Amino acid sequence: MDSVLRAAAIYLVLLVLFKVAGRRTLAELTTFDLVLLMVIGEATQQALLGDDFSLTNAVMVIVTLIVIDIGLSLVKQRSTWFARVLDGGPTVLVEDGQVLHKRLKHARLDEGDILEAARSTQGLVEIRQIRFAILERNGKISVIPYE
Amino acid sequence: MKPPDHRDLHSRNYPVSEDMTLQRKVWRFERWGWYAMVLLMGLTLAGLFSKGPLSSAEVRSADGQLRVEYQRFLRNGSSDALVIHVRGRAREPLEVELSGALLQGFNVQMLQPQPLKASTAGDGMKVWVLSDNDGHARLHVTLNSDGVGSFQTKVALASGASVGLSQFIYP
Repeated sequence: MDSVLRAAAIYLVLLVLFKVAGRRTLAELTTFDLVLLMVIGEATQQALLGDDFSLTNAVMVIVTLIVIDIGLSLVKQRSTWFARVLDGGPTVLVEDGQVLHKRLKHARLDEGDILEAARSTQGLVEIRQIRFAILERNGKISVIPYE
Repeated sequence: MKPPDHRDLHSRNYPVSEDMTLQRKVWRFERWGWYAMVLLMGLTLAGLFSKGPLSSAEVRSADGQLRVEYQRFLRNGSSDALVIHVRGRAREPLEVELSGALLQGFNVQMLQPQPLKASTAGDGMKVWVLSDNDGHARLHVTLNSDGVGSFQTKVALASGASVGLSQFIYP
């Protein structure tokens, strides 16, 4: 019984914590972010398995995690509101060459982040060359240049 | 939520359709979530989840013959020590009785020094420890928390001195 409860509790806790962290935090995976993710995984592992290292326990934990994950995706399919809450929506950051500063501030970003995405994806170097910059659900910034 | 006064925060429909009301709620959730996590970290440092000023406690019997150091908060699966200080006559076996929920919530891993003898007593146990030349005896009980919830324990001496302690084990 407790393997299911453990897995469900961990799933919920991680879901809430990563919602708090925001979509941007671990989106651009730097070397340090990778290490951080691995350490989070290590810390989670003990709580997931407890002191029971049996095959049955591992299978039950994995089954529970996948069942919850599929369950949530089914709910998301039926309710757009739920999907929006859980996954968020895209956010426009630059509109017709104008930076929407209030949004940047709330999203904990600055112009440098937009310019970095512009350089790496479109080869643009100035904000005024950007028609739209959009913060996507996965935390990446899409840049659409003027025609 | 009141509508945003700044133009930047109005919803756009092109090139993507936005729901800025929800997005602002998400941002607010992130901000308050961060405060909550900082608060949680502070409480952990203070000892709300074992080992810290909020958690370390000591009880003393009215006559001062018995003193117990313990942790108010423990975590399931972790080990911790209970230190029992007893005063009595010099170089004599002193009887200490541990009763209550101690044995339900914890595994006694080790008793140090090794008691002279031990016996069951009701739902708990009795141990006899030898006092030193000053009539002072100290018993270290290493406990492994295997329950979840609140557990009340009573420690008593043959002389009648007794103290009660309440410990909470987190899952």
